[in-house]
Amino acid sequence: MNTENNKSNSVVKRRSASQWAVAWRRFRRNKAGVFGLIVVLAVVFIGIFGDFIAPYPAFPNPQALAPFYNGNVRTPPNSHYLLGTDVLGTDVLSDILHGTKYALYVGVVVTLITMAIAIAVGAISGYFGGAVDNVLMRVTEVFLVFPSLLFILIFVRVLTLGAGVGTAINFLGITIPTGLTIVILVLAIFNWPGDARMIRGEFLRVRELEFVEAEKALGASNKRIIFRHILPNILSSIIVVASLTIAYAILLEAGVSFLGFGDVNTMTWGQILENNFANMRVVWWAELFPGLAILITVFAFNLLGDGLSDALNPRLRD
Amino acid sequence: MLRRLRTLAQSSMSRYIVRRLLYMIPVVLGISIIAFITMYAAGDPISLIKMGKPNIDATTLNALKAYYGLDKPIPIQYLKWLTNILQLNFGKSLYGGGSVNSLIGPEIWPTIELQVISLIIAFAISIPIAVLSARKPYSKQDLTVTSFSLFGVSMPTFWFGLILIIVFSFSLGWLPSAGAKGAAGFLWWGNPALDVIAHFILPVIVLVYVSLAQNIRLIRANMLEVLRSDYILAARASGISDRKVVYRYALRNAITPAVTFLALALGSMLAGAPMTEYVFSWPGLGRQYVSSTLGLDFPTIMAITMLITVMTLIANLIMDILYVYIDPRVRIR
Repeated sequence: MNTENNKSNSVVKRRSASQWAVAWRRFRRNKAGVFGLIVVLAVVFIGIFGDFIAPYPAFPNPQALAPFYNGNVRTPPNSHYLLGTDVLGTDVLSDILHGTKYALYVGVVVTLITMAIAIAVGAISGYFGGAVDNVLMRVTEVFLVFPSLLFILIFVRVLTLGAGVGTAINFLGITIPTGLTIVILVLAIFNWPGDARMIRGEFLRVRELEFVEAEKALGASNKRIIFRHILPNILSSIIVVASLTIAYAILLEAGVSFLGFGDVNTMTWGQILENNFANMRVVWWAELFPGLAILITVFAFNLLGDGLSDALNPRLRD
Repeated sequence: MLRRLRTLAQSSMSRYIVRRLLYMIPVVLGISIIAFITMYAAGDPISLIKMGKPNIDATTLNALKAYYGLDKPIPIQYLKWLTNILQLNFGKSLYGGGSVNSLIGPEIWPTIELQVISLIIAFAISIPIAVLSARKPYSKQDLTVTSFSLFGVSMPTFWFGLILIIVFSFSLGWLPSAGAKGAAGFLWWGNPALDVIAHFILPVIVLVYVSLAQNIRLIRANMLEVLRSDYILAARASGISDRKVVYRYALRNAITPAVTFLALALGSMLAGAPMTEYVFSWPGLGRQYVSSTLGLDFPTIMAITMLITVMTLIANLIMDILYVYIDPRVRIR
């Protein structure tokens, strides 16, 4: 790489750094957004260290049933079991702490897949237009009236039939539950069209700006324009949508599990709710607290998303 | 000539409706094909029954397959299903031996009733709240409204229902926890009409709160944008009262986009019916859908999917027609 190129690179870098610094300053002033960020960080911390904080180990470990063997099934919250024990005789607090990592796994992986597809499709469709764009618009229109929850349920049910729900994949020492992963893939498949539409709109907007025209006149390739010029300009919108998608995915997975379509051997928050649903007259604490965990997490991601949106796209604010 | 004919035809509302109905056909067909392929890709339902009952003999299995028409190739099965469905015959349920029609027929109305009532209430409440909030953006009342609605979109629908049941049915004993009607011997509030109302209250609260939250966020955002526009400034400058500016001039432009959203909201509410209906054991299509999908009752799943798709599309059409009347700038193309 020659010196001139390096120089222009460093100029771009410095300017973009200050742009992010400005956004961060604006974000810091938004109390709700900062609160969301703090809660999200706390949830991530629990997701990583939850297994060590929890008083009892996770379900496949026989020790998880210790309260059961001590005759403490369906115990209301007390000093020993802070959030009570559920119908299976496991400690609800431990279940929630262990379940945090699954909630984050669902949120993050669904969002990564969704955004990857949405950016690819949105970029092609928004930048090149033409027939591809037409097809994409028709497809997303169908998806807008599509009863997607119904299809998510059929897909999950049919796909988990043969796949052996109880099995898990061992990846670099991390156990990844198969059933939950199937749910994640299905959620991502039905989630990308809305985001692709949004990214297409952004591409259409930026494509018409003068600097893109200038870049074209200088003979830049399409690839360069898309990745080096347009994409960084719409990154702020992508970040905002991504944080809202995480929230949405966590909610949807909880619903799918609650309806009985989830992975029975993976204690996600929705799964705890489903297990205790039939007995909720007795074990109300096993319904209240896991739901609160979902609410707090999703609320925090939504607050973060709104805060980022205000900080990164100040034009939208009054 | 041709062009003039076309504009003539297009200016008529009935032609527009017919065209929209025709446009629905490929969408419905596409969705039905996707649903059909997904389910039958899992294997035929009779072989799945065999997984549960391993000692069933081969002749019985073949007879069962022939009875349900599952011995034919999938494209033939699909065509047969399609011709039946055009005569509103959804086939035989794999459970209980009855027809799908007799199974889901009584469940259509409870679902429509619940959804439409909730949607109307939600829309009626959300407009004044959103306007109140947008008139003074970032004030205390606006912050209350926005955090309340953000809370609403962050809450699992079904969980809100669970909490209401625990509080109002189990703890306080004020309202029924399940079903659409009391049993013959016991009526809530002592009267059949009041009994029906008592059963509606909790599910309606859940559905209203959820769609209220989405509506308020949308109408508030529109209202903020409209209140910034030049014609509002002009109206204010000519001394028209604030109340009139907001309610007469701005509101109309702020709710028109929300009408489109109303159609989408109805669609997502219909598709979300499984959640609420499952929680409240509501005798509707959504609850039936959950148990049929868990039990792999393919003909019933297909029937409900198709019904909900068609209902959503029709709701969309009605909203689009309303839109033309509300907003004269929208011309039928």
